[in-house]
Amino acid sequence: MAKKTTCGCALNVLIIVTVVFFALIVVSFIGGNIGATILGGEPLGFLNVGVPEYHPAPEAPFHGLPITNTMLTVWLSVLVLFGLFFAGTRKMKLVPKGLQNLLEMIVEAAANFIEDPAGKKHGRWFFPVCTTIFLFVITNAWLSLVPGFETITVNGEPLLRNANTDLNVPAALAVVSFCACEYWGFKAKGASYLKTFFNFGPLGRAIKQLFTGKIKAGLSGLLDGVMAIFAGILEILSHLIRMVSFTFRLFGNMTAGMILVMIMLFLVPWVLPSVFYGLEAFFGFVQAMIFAGLTLGFACAAVMSEE
Amino acid sequence: MDASVWPEVAKVIGAGLAMGLGALGPGIGIGILGMGAMNALGRNPEARGPIMTNMILAIAFAEAVAIYALVVAILLIFVA
Repeated sequence: MAKKTTCGCALNVLIIVTVVFFALIVVSFIGGNIGATILGGEPLGFLNVGVPEYHPAPEAPFHGLPITNTMLTVWLSVLVLFGLFFAGTRKMKLVPKGLQNLLEMIVEAAANFIEDPAGKKHGRWFFPVCTTIFLFVITNAWLSLVPGFETITVNGEPLLRNANTDLNVPAALAVVSFCACEYWGFKAKGASYLKTFFNFGPLGRAIKQLFTGKIKAGLSGLLDGVMAIFAGILEILSHLIRMVSFTFRLFGNMTAGMILVMIMLFLVPWVLPSVFYGLEAFFGFVQAMIFAGLTLGFACAAVMSEE
Repeated sequence: MDASVWPEVAKVIGAGLAMGLGALGPGIGIGILGMGAMNALGRNPEARGPIMTNMILAIAFAEAVAIYALVVAILLIFVA
């Protein structure tokens, strides 16, 4: 007779695991900083994590070298991505197996995701930039969950730190995405793409109508013309503000995650932070998808014809 | 209380207000989004996958506003 199992292990093992789990939570709750505050006195020695410190600016761990720790992480994630794809595509087979299969799955999913709204022709334009942004952001986010990040120190400063928590990295990505969108707009529509921003056509037509005697049509056209110019100004502003919102969305989400994990570690040092760790992994994926997806959306809006 | 701590006090109060008020709108927005998703799910349980994906995307947008507030709060406390 087979043993009765729940959640993949025998019932008594499950009970033991659960009890240990809750015991750990209770001990860390009472012995940690929350318990110390409620009951008075000091937290237990091995549970005393120390007040979390947050520095908005990245640190430069090497004296005299202007290389910050986020920069090192960016290089590391580039290396990781390069190594992964190099290893996966070195001996390509017709029937993919293992790593090659995984990479093909990722690339195929990205291609489908992009070609769905953009169509075949434009999808081929957008695919490199959008997929690179996605892979880069997600690699940065997930690499920072590897133990050793922010805890290995050189000269008292952490050697590696999540690159997305440095404002410069999201800002650079946002500028890349902005430039790419404008480039695609010009590529798809030529010089008439400028009409999105500087639309003097309706106003000119209205003035012409005024001077050729169609007073009534001209006057109502005048309003439309002014509106069109104003809409163009708004369009310019929205394109510029887009960069700021891109930057702060990624930076804020990643920084918030970092601070959240730090504070949970401070309050309840055991078990509970792992929940937020999982949440961080999920948010890394979501933010990467949003960055790439928004770039895709704006690119689609840029190449879409008005008529 | 001597006057030299007032900037510090203002910083803390400002950061708290920024975060608290800034989380208000996104909270309501995420609630409405969840409601919409649940309604859609109730009407059409087969479309679970797309509804889920779009809901998470839209939630991330609403959440971004709260994140801006958080950035302001962080700047107030750590930088200003």
